[in-house]
Amino acid sequence: MAYAYLFKYIIIGDTGVGKSCLLLQFTDKRFQPVHDLTIGVEFGARMITIDGKQIKLQIWDTAGQEAFRSITRSYYRGAAGALLVYDITRRDTFNHLTTWLEDARQHSNSNMVIMLIGNKSDLESRREVKKEEGEAFAREHGLVFMETSAKTAANVEEAFINTAKEIYEKIQEGVFDINNEANGIKIGPQHSNAGAGGAGGAGAGGAPPGGCC
Amino acid sequence: MDFLKSGLKTVLGAPEPGQQPSVAETVERLVERASNSTLLEDRRDACRALKAMSRKYRLEVGAQGLDTLRQILELDKADNETVNYALDTLNNIVSPSQFEEEEDKPHIPMNIGDQFTEMFIKDPHNIQLLLDLLDEYDFRVRLSTVQLLISLLTNRTKDIQEIILDKPMGVSKMMDLLSDNREVIRNETLLLLIKLTKGNANIQKIVAFENAFDRLFEILCTEGYSDGGIIVEDCLLLMLNLLKNNSSNINFFKEGSYIQKMLPMFNIPDNSEEAGWSPQKVSNVHCMLQLVRTLVSPSNSAQIVSNCQKIMNNVGLLNSLCNILMASGVPADILTETINTVGEVVRGDATNQEFIGTVIAPSYPPRPAIIVLLMSMVNEKQPFPLRCAVLYCFQCYLYRNEVSQANLVQTLLPSSTDVSSLTSGQILCGGLFSSDLLSNWFSAVALMHALIDNTTQKEQLLRVLLATNIGSTPVSLLHQCTLLLQQTTKLQSKVALLMLLAQWTAHCPAAVGCFLRANGAVACLVNHTSCNEHDDNDCLLQGLSAFLLAICIHFNDDSVTNHSADSLRQLLLKRVGLETFTAKLGEVSRHELYNRAAKHPQLRVAAPADVLVDYEFCKLFKSLEGVLIQSVQIKQENAVNEERQSSEADLQQYKQVIRLQDTRLSELLQQLEALAGQAASLQSALNDSLAANSLLKDENTLLKAQVSANSLPQSQPNLVQPPDPRIGEYEARIQQLTDEVTQLTRDLNVVRESQKNSTEELEKMKKDQDDLLELLADQDLKLNEYNMKLLTMVSSIEGDNVIEPEENST
Repeated sequence: MAYAYLFKYIIIGDTGVGKSCLLLQFTDKRFQPVHDLTIGVEFGARMITIDGKQIKLQIWDTAGQEAFRSITRSYYRGAAGALLVYDITRRDTFNHLTTWLEDARQHSNSNMVIMLIGNKSDLESRREVKKEEGEAFAREHGLVFMETSAKTAANVEEAFINTAKEIYEKIQEGVFDINNEANGIKIGPQHSNAGAGGAGGAGAGGAPPGGCC
Repeated sequence: MDFLKSGLKTVLGAPEPGQQPSVAETVERLVERASNSTLLEDRRDACRALKAMSRKYRLEVGAQGLDTLRQILELDKADNETVNYALDTLNNIVSPSQFEEEEDKPHIPMNIGDQFTEMFIKDPHNIQLLLDLLDEYDFRVRLSTVQLLISLLTNRTKDIQEIILDKPMGVSKMMDLLSDNREVIRNETLLLLIKLTKGNANIQKIVAFENAFDRLFEILCTEGYSDGGIIVEDCLLLMLNLLKNNSSNINFFKEGSYIQKMLPMFNIPDNSEEAGWSPQKVSNVHCMLQLVRTLVSPSNSAQIVSNCQKIMNNVGLLNSLCNILMASGVPADILTETINTVGEVVRGDATNQEFIGTVIAPSYPPRPAIIVLLMSMVNEKQPFPLRCAVLYCFQCYLYRNEVSQANLVQTLLPSSTDVSSLTSGQILCGGLFSSDLLSNWFSAVALMHALIDNTTQKEQLLRVLLATNIGSTPVSLLHQCTLLLQQTTKLQSKVALLMLLAQWTAHCPAAVGCFLRANGAVACLVNHTSCNEHDDNDCLLQGLSAFLLAICIHFNDDSVTNHSADSLRQLLLKRVGLETFTAKLGEVSRHELYNRAAKHPQLRVAAPADVLVDYEFCKLFKSLEGVLIQSVQIKQENAVNEERQSSEADLQQYKQVIRLQDTRLSELLQQLEALAGQAASLQSALNDSLAANSLLKDENTLLKAQVSANSLPQSQPNLVQPPDPRIGEYEARIQQLTDEVTQLTRDLNVVRESQKNSTEELEKMKKDQDDLLELLADQDLKLNEYNMKLLTMVSSIEGDNVIEPEENST
């Protein structure tokens, strides 16, 4: 499947905040209430459309456990975008954001787009972190913020797509060096002419799940 | 050597005359100089000298210099030359291979490099030092560092993988070297990455994440794909490492459209026959085929395999593979591997299976590729691995595809009229009854795969008739197989036929019935099963026979009257016995070749003699073993149960009786005790009373004596009684009664008087009566007299009267 750009994402955050579920909801449009602990890193992919262009998202879902932290660090450098996830029902996962952010800033390239995500917004009754707190943290550190629910799929699409939009804009602004693949961005095989045409052919709107290419 | 000596001289100064310093001493001085000299040049020279000695005297250099060398890596980083000497020295010390210079030194342990590696990595920081050195652009330093890492990884793969994973950017730094435009470094990096990624999924994923596939395909492309040199092979080996058993990376490979990029690798130029195949090209293509197989390996998840298969067909990869299959001049081992690869690309994917079903071989006359392949399979002259590959490919072609299964059986049915061309069914039947054992086995197993989970085809195949001899009546295929099973003495043929028959009859009562009707089938199985040889292969044969027999019991619809499920069960229990039967079934799954076959769908054997058990048969066996044992056990168990239950009941009863008797006994004992107690007490009471009695008697006699002594004076007053009031009463009564008696006497007299009167009267009347009677008698007499008189008178009168009437009558 032809694409104009390929973006590499990583999903990071404490264990149990719903990183794998977010990915599954985004790539397969389903929710799995009981999910095995991620070992190391798992891969997922999906095609989306931005500005009439087909964009392929390759997403690496990392293990949140401390034991895998050094493995996770190996993925920062090559990623164009990161979804930093916390659980709105667990204050500690919010408190750890600073550590995550430091880690990410230290090992990633400076242009990496980080999206802050407060997941499990469906569990309003058990909320421990106010939405305003998330917003404030994001503002303070220059992140994009969103509350999502991998269970109800609320905002999941938006989270991934908005991150892509941000990256896309940065490309347009010339911030990203798109010829350096170490930035987590690749130009599609037939970028010059297939960009608009490919998007039209795919019918835009809902992006197909990345089952086949 | 002279150079070495002169080198040493310049470093150490001339040796003292007449006193040659030992190696250890020399090394010690060099090490000291390398670590303590204030002048960089001195340290550099010392390192150079150590490097020169490290091949021949690595034990000494390593033992004394390891720390110093490590220190130099850290402190003399700025001087590339010194660092380079240190790196090379270290590399020599830890080298996993033996140097030529060492060959005359048998005392050096074989694993010396391994031991020094262990010492070196004891401090993980040392690895960090090397990773930092990778940032150095200097050619020599970079190359030496890579080489040292390769040596270390070769010795201690797992440990160093863990250390490197723990270092942020460790893997990434190595990946960067792949883009180094100096080919030597790039090529060494390839070797490093092959070592690094071996068996570590996390590293494999990071390497893939760092765009390894893009880099590698770029290199493949610039090196000319399959026609390239050993670098192509290295690239492919690295890709294989990244993908093998790593579903996340396979998914990434598929999503990243890398399958499409594999396509140019399989372009075989038309002139390949003339050009020939260089050994390197053979290796390269072999790796490429392995790469394809890694993506669609049956051990991957079904979804990944299916996705990859579809892509491979869509982008034309399957077609390219088929082209290699049909090309001429392809070396046999490449052909073999291509057949295996095609098999796995089509396995279970209906579209791909259909595709290879339609491939036509460029033979004369043109034949379907499948036919050409099967012809090779039953051809003794073909290489053994090739024949195995064809079987595997054919199995993959039939796998979970009812259409291709039906097509095969169809070619054997009488209705198929196309006699002119050779069909797959005919080839297999020919192989089944050929004198070549392998052909028997391959054909039987191939045929068996047409029947897996397909009851329709099992029943269809029952209709197949074979014309054995011209003129004789055709025999059904099943009966012919049964006959062959009885006739052949070859293990492979027997096993093959048993597997075929088991697959055929399982879940198909019609086939069971047909099999049981075959002459001698049951007897043959029972004989095989009850055989008592203990050779491994004999055990397998016995187990398979037992298996087939049990299938005949379990899937029996009782349509063959003398071989109903029950009668067979009885036969089995009587002739073999349940325990022996279970044990023999167990032998099958214990057989070495069974276990080897059960691991992978592809037959993986080294020698023709090891061709014995098929993967799909193992699956059948596993699925039915338990069921069959239960099925055979049913009756047996019932009987045993009853017996057990009855004996249990008996036991219970006995127990109850015993318990009852026990309580009774204790009761009685208690009673007895009580009675004994009572008796004792009674006895004592009796004794008491007896004593009392005798006492009383004594007293009595004493008293009597006393009484007799003074009785008279005592009894007189006793006689004086007061007047009884009743006496007056009695007197009055007597008076009354006397009065009554006088009265009654008087009455009696009166009555007597009247009686006397009546008697007198009666006498008088009696007298009267007598008188009257006398009178009556007189009268009577008078009457008689008169009567007589009358009679005489009458008779006289009558005599007169008689005549008169006569006269009157006339």
